[in-house]
Amino acid sequence: MSDTISAALSDDHRRCDRLLALVEQAADGGDWTSVGAEAASFHEAMERHFRYEEEVLFPALEARAPMATGPTGVMRMEHTQMRHMLTDLAAAVAGHAADDCLGVLETLHLITQQHNAKEEGILYPMADRALAGEAAGLLAGFTPAP
Amino acid sequence: MVDTTGLSLDQAPPIHLPLRLLLTAPWFAAAAGVVLMSVGEPALVSRWTPTALALTHLITVGFLGQAMCGALLQMLPVIAGAPVPGVRPVAALVHLALAAGAGFLAAGFLGSGGWALALGAAASVLGFGVFLAAVGVALVRARGAPATLGSLRLAGVALIPTLVLGASLVSALLGWVSLPAFATWVDLHLAWGLFGWVGLLIVGVGYQVVPMFHVTPAYPRALTRFLAPLLFAVLVAASVAALAGPGAWAEVAKGLAQGGAALGLSAFALVTLRLQRQRSRRRRDATLPHWWSAMGSLVAAAGAWGLGAPDSLIGVLLLVGVGIGLPSGMLFKIVPFLCWFHLQQRQIATGRFDVRVPHMHGFLPERLTRWQWWLHLGALVTLVAAVAEPRLTLPGGGLLLVASLLLAGLLGNAALRYRHTRALLGQPAMDLAVPEVGQ
Repeated sequence: MSDTISAALSDDHRRCDRLLALVEQAADGGDWTSVGAEAASFHEAMERHFRYEEEVLFPALEARAPMATGPTGVMRMEHTQMRHMLTDLAAAVAGHAADDCLGVLETLHLITQQHNAKEEGILYPMADRALAGEAAGLLAGFTPAP
Repeated sequence: MVDTTGLSLDQAPPIHLPLRLLLTAPWFAAAAGVVLMSVGEPALVSRWTPTALALTHLITVGFLGQAMCGALLQMLPVIAGAPVPGVRPVAALVHLALAAGAGFLAAGFLGSGGWALALGAAASVLGFGVFLAAVGVALVRARGAPATLGSLRLAGVALIPTLVLGASLVSALLGWVSLPAFATWVDLHLAWGLFGWVGLLIVGVGYQVVPMFHVTPAYPRALTRFLAPLLFAVLVAASVAALAGPGAWAEVAKGLAQGGAALGLSAFALVTLRLQRQRSRRRRDATLPHWWSAMGSLVAAAGAWGLGAPDSLIGVLLLVGVGIGLPSGMLFKIVPFLCWFHLQQRQIATGRFDVRVPHMHGFLPERLTRWQWWLHLGALVTLVAAVAEPRLTLPGGGLLLVASLLLAGLLGNAALRYRHTRALLGQPAMDLAVPEVGQ
């Protein structure tokens, strides 16, 4: 288990990236049962990561460092943006629309990378500093993606 | 106090600014195709022919200049939280000046007279100079991504001797100044431009986008820490040797610059190819093959240099294989992402969630981008062969023309699709002053 907030959540970003890659590969192969399964586990991992940040990490950070409210607000907005894309993905998977599936995944991948870069470059280091004493307790409630 | 400006969603410049550069770039590659076709067999006989010089500047100033400046204006604010000051007038001026610069330089080399060369050089220096002044401010202020920023800063510095040397060379050609050992100065201009400015920019951007686009492991730290400073140091050493005087020192300078660049850049290419083989996103998208052919061309160019192959072969590999190929592949990601991103922002601003914003492949159909790569590869292979068999210059130029027109058409179509969807989304009440994409 990673011992800093940065390390734990950045590792989780990488795992979510790999889950997205698995959906993409399945969609390319056209086996819709496997696409459905991969998409569901990707969706679940992303949602779990968002909820941990929104319900545990961001409130703790905002309480300790009120100036973080601006950045966490932007991050929450981007989570909403990505949730919309995940809904589009689910619709494309349900409709067995391979081209849409791949197009949505490509878009979601790039927006996720941009979002992750901001979190890993600015927000997580901020959290590491502001929440140094509480990291272990905060991370105890975090379930990483498979 | 923690600086949080990098988290702002408003860091990206208005879409029409980078797009006007990115959408203009392919037309200069198309122009290079037309020149190859109209000059035909003598075009690639030597790197010193007027045609070769015209082709080189159409590709480096026209295509690469527009594509690199457009992409950097977009990328810097996003990756480094560093907005480019005065981005609107800067983008407009850089766009026009580089277009005029490439056009007049090519016309001048192809025989339109000294006035065209002078005008072309002045416009190119103006365009790149203004770009560098504005982006330099952003690069100094930027933070985060140290490997990328380190490379980009050195690339920016390398542009200065490229411009100074280029302007001096044109002045010498026009008889305004005398420049002994003219060929040595040309070699230095080329080394700073191709290996310094373009090479370091590719390296810096690669550090950032190769792991990001295809989910690969990061570049090894030894490489990201030392490669860019070493390449830069080699160029400085080569310049000092050249300044030490003509004769043996000039040869040392040339060998040092070319050998250092060959080793350093092919190491970058080989590491890139290895990282991409370890990628998690196994699917072969439209950008990946362009990276493969460009990195392959880079290694081949270094090998060709080592074996003493003709300069024109190395030129084709570097200019067409890397210089046209790599940015083409990058444009396939950048342009549809920009279209999607800005429309999505517009959708939030207008609240028109009933309008469907297309995903990236809706702007740029993947099947056609694959065709574009095959045409590009065809052009590259044919032009490489044309160095040995000049009769292939005509079909090679034709393929380059078709590949570039398809690239221009695909990007133009993406911009039209953007405009169409934006019209559907309507204008938010407070934001009527944002200009249309006028390309």
